[in-house]
Amino acid sequence: MKTDSTIAHSHTHPTTQAELLIQAQQRKKRGFRMGVGATWGMLLLVLIFLFSGQNILGFQTIKLDGEFMRKNLGFIGSGLGETLLISSSSILLAIFLALLAALGRLSTFPPIYALSTFYVSLIRGTPLYLQIFFFFLALPQLGVNLSGFTAGVFALGLNYGAYMSETFRAGLASVSKGQREAAAAIGMTPGQTMRRVVLPQALRFAIPPMGNDFISMTKDSALVAATGFVHEVMWRAVKVGRAQFNNLEALLMAAIFYWMMTLILTFFQTRLEARLAKGDR
Amino acid sequence: MAPIVQISNLDKYFGRLHVLKNISLDVQPREVVCLIGRSGSGKSTLLRCVNFLEEPSNGSIQVDGVIVESHGRGKEHRQLIHDVRLKTGMVFQEFNLFPHMTVLENVIEGPVTVKGMNRAEAIALGEENLDSVGMLFKKDEYPMRLSGGQKQRVAIARALTMQPRVMLFDEPTSALDPELIGEVLNVMKKVAKDGMTMLVVTHEMGFAREVADRVLVLGEGEIIEDAKPSTLFSKPKDPRTKALIDRYRTGGR
Repeated sequence: MKTDSTIAHSHTHPTTQAELLIQAQQRKKRGFRMGVGATWGMLLLVLIFLFSGQNILGFQTIKLDGEFMRKNLGFIGSGLGETLLISSSSILLAIFLALLAALGRLSTFPPIYALSTFYVSLIRGTPLYLQIFFFFLALPQLGVNLSGFTAGVFALGLNYGAYMSETFRAGLASVSKGQREAAAAIGMTPGQTMRRVVLPQALRFAIPPMGNDFISMTKDSALVAATGFVHEVMWRAVKVGRAQFNNLEALLMAAIFYWMMTLILTFFQTRLEARLAKGDR
Repeated sequence: MAPIVQISNLDKYFGRLHVLKNISLDVQPREVVCLIGRSGSGKSTLLRCVNFLEEPSNGSIQVDGVIVESHGRGKEHRQLIHDVRLKTGMVFQEFNLFPHMTVLENVIEGPVTVKGMNRAEAIALGEENLDSVGMLFKKDEYPMRLSGGQKQRVAIARALTMQPRVMLFDEPTSALDPELIGEVLNVMKKVAKDGMTMLVVTHEMGFAREVADRVLVLGEGEIIEDAKPSTLFSKPKDPRTKALIDRYRTGGR
């Protein structure tokens, strides 16, 4: 074919104007990334130096209690499991509630629509910290005693569910009317259409923001330490820090644990996102 | 022969807008009927009333023995609409393939989920239909990797795999680049040749002239002309039909 041969022909000349432009752009991008990486490394070194306790050129850096840190590293670190457990339990509850709330927002039946918007408004209108205490401290007055863990999961789940419902709603709205019509035309019931056609597309759309929510939940789970009964990273840091007047060391270690956790989760999140983008959209 | 599609005294209002005015129409088995008319004439709405994607305001629809009245309510009415949808296949202007499913999954989704057909049987049937539209070689691709013409051919295979009695085409080539229209029209010709009853809303006058048994011209919500293509294109009775044909002739199609 004629068109094929012209395309093949252009490939035999690798240095067309367009390709040179692309190469220049790629070089620029690579340079930028390397600059960013190098600066990150330097900032990290400065941070480490700042806490090294050395006296260099008359500048005394912060001296940390190494003995305390070595002794309590395991104690604080063993809270990671609890942190991840409370975060994953809460995100599951949040996803469930968010889906209900998002579907409620699509309802044409006023009470259902109202229930959904009422929930979202109430939860988004009050602080998460208050909600955790409400479940843990206020409910016992009504005869409902929840463990610190359960209260934390309820509060985090309800809170994130309200925010995530917006993400799901946008996901559902991203599925065109034509998709529902095509499903209806082959005889699918509304339930089948939702399950087989609309939800899979909406969830795909919602997965990246859900990943972000999970990452920020691992950090907000620290608030549950306030109940005093969930022995996650933050609780442990505060406990040993206060007991031995080593708050600086304890909180620094907790901060590093949280940071590492978000770095690892962000890495997987980025890969997941890339895979979804490459897929079938 | 009893008509396989019968539209009786159909009215459709969008709010106060009267888009279809007391339309009655019989389509015989194996007949290919093209609906033409200016945009806004109601031709797409009429087609969408046949499988109740639009609920008619008045009148009734009969497809292969299933009669659905307008103003129906409740479970029985929904069941009748479902029966009609199983007897009709629809092809949309915008293809509406399911983007999260491969080509083959798109095609077998209806038979498996709706009809409860076993998967192996659905795959065999689906592959046969993909082959007949020339798209079997892309069966494991996702729709986003196909050209518009390829998407529409898959959409036709998807509709055919439901084994409908009647195919409804809603401007199937209007969203396509001009060079891709031919491959879709060729597949449609093949479907017609295989004896399928077809209702086709189209702007492709060449296709109407060549393939249709009857051409209906819609204007302002009414059928203003109903004739064999040979008669209609050579001696249009209504001046509006003449204007329509002339417009496409000068448009080069």
